[in-house]
Amino acid sequence: MIEVKELTFSYGKDKQALHGLNFSVGDGEIFGFLGPNGSGKSTTQKILTGVLKGHGGYVSLFGQDISTVHTQDFFRKIGVLFEFPYLYANLSAVDNLKYFSSFYPAKQLRDIEEILEKLEFKADFMKKPVSSYSKGMRQRVSMARALISSPKLLFLDEPTSGLDPSGAVLFRKIIEEERAKGTTVFLTTHNMLDADLLCDRIAFITNGNIVALDTPKRLKEQNCNHRVRIEYLYQGRREEKIIEIPELERGIPFMHDEIISVHSEEPTLEDMFIQYTGRGLS
Amino acid sequence: MWGNFCSLFKKDCKMMISGKFFLVAFGSLIIYSLFINYGYVHYMNAELYNVYLYDPQGTQQEVSELIYPVASLEELNAVLSSDANGVGIDVSSGTPDIVFYYGSEKSDNHRADYALSLLHQENAYTAWIVGTNTLESKQRKEMCSELLFIEITAVGFLGIASVLFKEKQMGAIRVHAVLPFKKGLFIMAKLTVFLLSDLIFAVLMTVLNIGVSDAAVILPAVLVQTAILSLIMALTGFGCTMMLKDFRQFSLVYVVIIIFVSAPVFLSANTSVKMAWIGLHPFYHVYMGLKNACFGTPVTNPVYYICSVCEIVILFLIVQTAFHKEMGKEGSL
Repeated sequence: MIEVKELTFSYGKDKQALHGLNFSVGDGEIFGFLGPNGSGKSTTQKILTGVLKGHGGYVSLFGQDISTVHTQDFFRKIGVLFEFPYLYANLSAVDNLKYFSSFYPAKQLRDIEEILEKLEFKADFMKKPVSSYSKGMRQRVSMARALISSPKLLFLDEPTSGLDPSGAVLFRKIIEEERAKGTTVFLTTHNMLDADLLCDRIAFITNGNIVALDTPKRLKEQNCNHRVRIEYLYQGRREEKIIEIPELERGIPFMHDEIISVHSEEPTLEDMFIQYTGRGLS
Repeated sequence: MWGNFCSLFKKDCKMMISGKFFLVAFGSLIIYSLFINYGYVHYMNAELYNVYLYDPQGTQQEVSELIYPVASLEELNAVLSSDANGVGIDVSSGTPDIVFYYGSEKSDNHRADYALSLLHQENAYTAWIVGTNTLESKQRKEMCSELLFIEITAVGFLGIASVLFKEKQMGAIRVHAVLPFKKGLFIMAKLTVFLLSDLIFAVLMTVLNIGVSDAAVILPAVLVQTAILSLIMALTGFGCTMMLKDFRQFSLVYVVIIIFVSAPVFLSANTSVKMAWIGLHPFYHVYMGLKNACFGTPVTNPVYYICSVCEIVILFLIVQTAFHKEMGKEGSL
């Protein structure tokens, strides 16, 4: 679906944003693109969505070179959720969606009310102006806008931003459903839980370079220290020990009365993020 | 393509309605019309100059009833001291000499011509009658053209900025970068809304203040000039909105435009202030084009129209570049 080879981009003579990125995204894959602010995530996404021109290297989408592919036909096949819910505040959710969907052929459009309902949008707000909506409601309308044209390739930038935990769960479920239909998802996020739960593969980008690219599971395994933390009770006292995993092969290698918990010392995706990018999440 | 244009056009109309642009334009139309019909043509009518004649030898046999004879030079000087706008004619030397209490370069000639024309001296000073306008129709056309110019350059210009800044601040412009339509249509739709609005305004302004029969004659030329001015102002407003950060910055730029663009044009066209370089000022030609169209003498020089079209095309290209740049921006609302 997406193929990127030696992608470079510069905003000026001394402002090189991307330094030869290489990655590919398969059909129906959810690909996570993670990196700190200013790392080149948005620049990459803008190049892929045809907003930024003048890149170096080779980029192809739908099997066609992106330099020649940015026709109306290309835009009909993609859906984009921006980092912020860009909507007409004076129009209602329905009017916004009617307006944005009017640029697509009718046969590829989904039903507005149905999609809003699926996103658990409050029905009594459908015809009220967006200016009266909460951030979560605006995000739902923006997601509906991205999905309304049944895109084959979906670019999502911080999709669960501004949502409460149940809203985030709902969005993750909807993204999974889209993938199940065959939609490819390019996910840009800071939310490590989203990346961990949704992505088939993730790439860490920092200073315009991809520093790691693999499945979340393998990335964690590669950086695992192969230890477990065991909490136990012995002679009425609660104690804790960290041991190497091979030591467990012959059973618990210390005296104990009761095992309370066993935690692997596997790093989280956030640990990976900090390790690869050298920066914490902001 | 037509369907996309209609969507954009409909959305722009909704934006302008919610921004109360049409209400402001309608309010301006009412205020301008009230001013012209009940103010300007009634109270701005300058009185005729009084003409005083000193002719001790009685050389002037057929003089107008509007001339007041005086008995001596002292009396002539005294009467001009109390009526500073009056014009004295001293024929004591055998030939008429004009006497003013004070004067300025342009009005002196005007007053002198008027005074001498009243002498009926062998028809040598018969004043020319230019056009068929009565004093009232002249006043109506003059003020109509000036207010139309102000409306398009001020209200229309600020209107497009306020609508676009709203759209820019909402970030909705950026969504258009990934929608399947030709991006130039976004600009075209906006221009069409403002152009139609200005043309309708021009029709109503002309009909309400000049009269239906006179308006019917001059309207085609007025609409052409309105279209030229409207497109230039809408494109300038669009470009400024895309390039400037917020409405505050835009207001500062607008003040600069008022000082360096509109003010010299108005001063040069409507007062005795002379500016040698005003012929190089493109707005001067557009303003005079509009004014002449209102007086039924439209510009016929093709160079003017070629330059106008070139200016509109160049502005469109600049606006298109700025629009693409704005769509590619990122950031919060």
